[in-house]
Amino acid sequence: MSDTETGKIDVEKLSFEQSMSMLEELVKKLEGGNLDLDESLKVYENAVALREHCRKILDESDRKVQAIMETASGTKKEDFSELE
Amino acid sequence: MSERVTVTELNTRVKELFGSTPGLKDIWVIGEISNFKLYTSGHSYFTIKDAGSEIRAVMFKSARSRIDFEPGDSQKIEAYGHLDMYVERGSYQFIVESMKRSGIGDLYLKYEALKKKLEAEGLFESARKRPIPQYPKTIGVVTSPTGAVIHDILTTTKRLFPADILLAPAQVQGEGAAKSIVAGIELLNREGVDVIIVGRGGGSLEDLWAFNEEPVVRAIAASKVPVISSVGHETDFTLADFVADKRAPTPTAAAQFAVRDKSEILRQFSDLTVRMNKALSSVIEHMRGRFVAVDGKLSPARAQEKVEYLGMKLDDLSSRASSAVKDTVSEMHKRFLSVESRPEPALKAMVANKRNQSDRVFGRIEPGMKAILTTKDYKEQTLAARLDALSPYKVLDRGYSFVAGPDGQAVTSVKGLAVGSRITVRMRDGRALADIVEKEELQ
Repeated sequence: MSDTETGKIDVEKLSFEQSMSMLEELVKKLEGGNLDLDESLKVYENAVALREHCRKILDESDRKVQAIMETASGTKKEDFSELE
Repeated sequence: MSERVTVTELNTRVKELFGSTPGLKDIWVIGEISNFKLYTSGHSYFTIKDAGSEIRAVMFKSARSRIDFEPGDSQKIEAYGHLDMYVERGSYQFIVESMKRSGIGDLYLKYEALKKKLEAEGLFESARKRPIPQYPKTIGVVTSPTGAVIHDILTTTKRLFPADILLAPAQVQGEGAAKSIVAGIELLNREGVDVIIVGRGGGSLEDLWAFNEEPVVRAIAASKVPVISSVGHETDFTLADFVADKRAPTPTAAAQFAVRDKSEILRQFSDLTVRMNKALSSVIEHMRGRFVAVDGKLSPARAQEKVEYLGMKLDDLSSRASSAVKDTVSEMHKRFLSVESRPEPALKAMVANKRNQSDRVFGRIEPGMKAILTTKDYKEQTLAARLDALSPYKVLDRGYSFVAGPDGQAVTSVKGLAVGSRITVRMRDGRALADIVEKEELQ
C-alpha cells in the first residue's frame, strides 16, 4: 500500500501540479470502494488537505512579470510592464 | 541677369520636368519595401530601397486594387509608376501605379527545401512532442517587448492560474532576428522556466521569416522545456510551428494552452469534493449494512467487540470527517444507539451481553443522546459535535486509559483492588490485561 493510503501527506512541499494529480488519484481510489473505513478516512483526510493546499496556492500566489536580459556582467532581471 | 523665381514656381518647374522626361515615367523600380504605412484614407506610404539608396513612394487607394498581395516591410518588389514632385513640400516621390513581388519564389523554395530536410530528420514527428504542463510556475516568453504576443499573453494570463511571466525580449524580424530568438530560447532554458511561448504578431512572409530559419527551428527542437509557438495569424504556418510541441493559432490561445482558467480549476475542486464526499458516504453506507447484518452466529464476545469497534470508528469519524459527511455519521450514531431497541434476538442478546460484560461505554452515551434528542432545538445542534463531547474515546485519545475490574465494571478507586487481581486496561486503540503487583493509596 502506498503512502497516500496509509500515511499523512506533507502537502506543503508539493507543487500545485503534484497536489492536483494526487488529489485526483485519491478521489478515484476512494470511489473504487476497495478500502475499509479506516483507510477511506485517511484517504479522505489527505484529499481534503491536498485540495486546501491547492486552493491556498491559487488564492495566495501573486504573479511576477519580469524581463530577462543578458548583459556583460551576466543575466539581469527586471520588472516588466508594457508601455502604454 | 539671373531670373528670380518663387519657391512654388521652382518646384512647379521640377514637377513639369519630371513629367516630360522619359526614363522618369513609365518605369519599373526594383527594391525592397520598408516603413510601410497604410493610412485610413486608403493611401499607402513607404520607402523603396536597395543596398545603395532609397526613395519615398506613395501608392494611392485606386492602385491597391491592381495588386494581388498585401504589401509589407522587407518584401522584395518591382513597382511600376512615375516620379512626381510634391510641390508644397519640395520633395519628390515615386507614385506606384502597380506592384508585383519578386524573390518570393526563392523564399518558398528555401522553405520547402528546409522543411523537407528537417522532416527527414524526424524533427516534426508527433512522437517528439511533449505535453505542456498545466500548472507552470513560470512561463517564459520569447518575443518583442512591444508586440501583440506579450500584450495578449499578459492580458490573458491575468484570469488564469497564477504563473510568473519571464520575457526574453527578442528581435522578431529583420537582420539578426533568428539569432536573437535562439538566444532567448537558450536563455530561458538556462533559467529553468516550465514552458516557453515563442512567437510574434502577424506580418508578411518576410516578416515571419526568422521563424523559418534553421537555427530557430533547431533551438526549439533542442529546448529541454516544452515550447508553444504562436507565429503570425491563424493561417500562417512556419517551420517553428511544425517543430514546436504545440502550435497556437493566436497569442491568447498560447496563453490558454500554457495555463488553465482559474474558474475552471475551482469548478474542478467542487467537482472533486462532491465525488469524495459521495465516495466516503458510500463507504459509511456500506458499513451500516454490515453493522445491521451482525448476526447471532458470531460469538457474543466477538459481536460485542465488533460493536465497540464500530462505535469507536463512528466517534472517530464524526470528529474528523468534514461537515458534508457529518450528517451521515450522526445518522449512523443514531442507528448504532437504536440497536438495543431492535427486536432481533441476536442483536438484543448482543446488546445485553455488552451491558453485562462491558465497561458500559455505550451505556454512558445513551442518556446523553436521549437528552439531546428530547431537547427542542436538537436539530440546530450538530449531533456529531455533542457526541464528540460525550465520547469516552475522546478522552482515551488524549492519553487516558480506562481500567475495568475482573467483573468488567469500571474501577475508579484502588480500594476495591486486591494485589494479584486481574484488570483490563482499555486504551485508545485496544486493551491489555494486567495483574496488580502492588498498590498504594494516596492521601
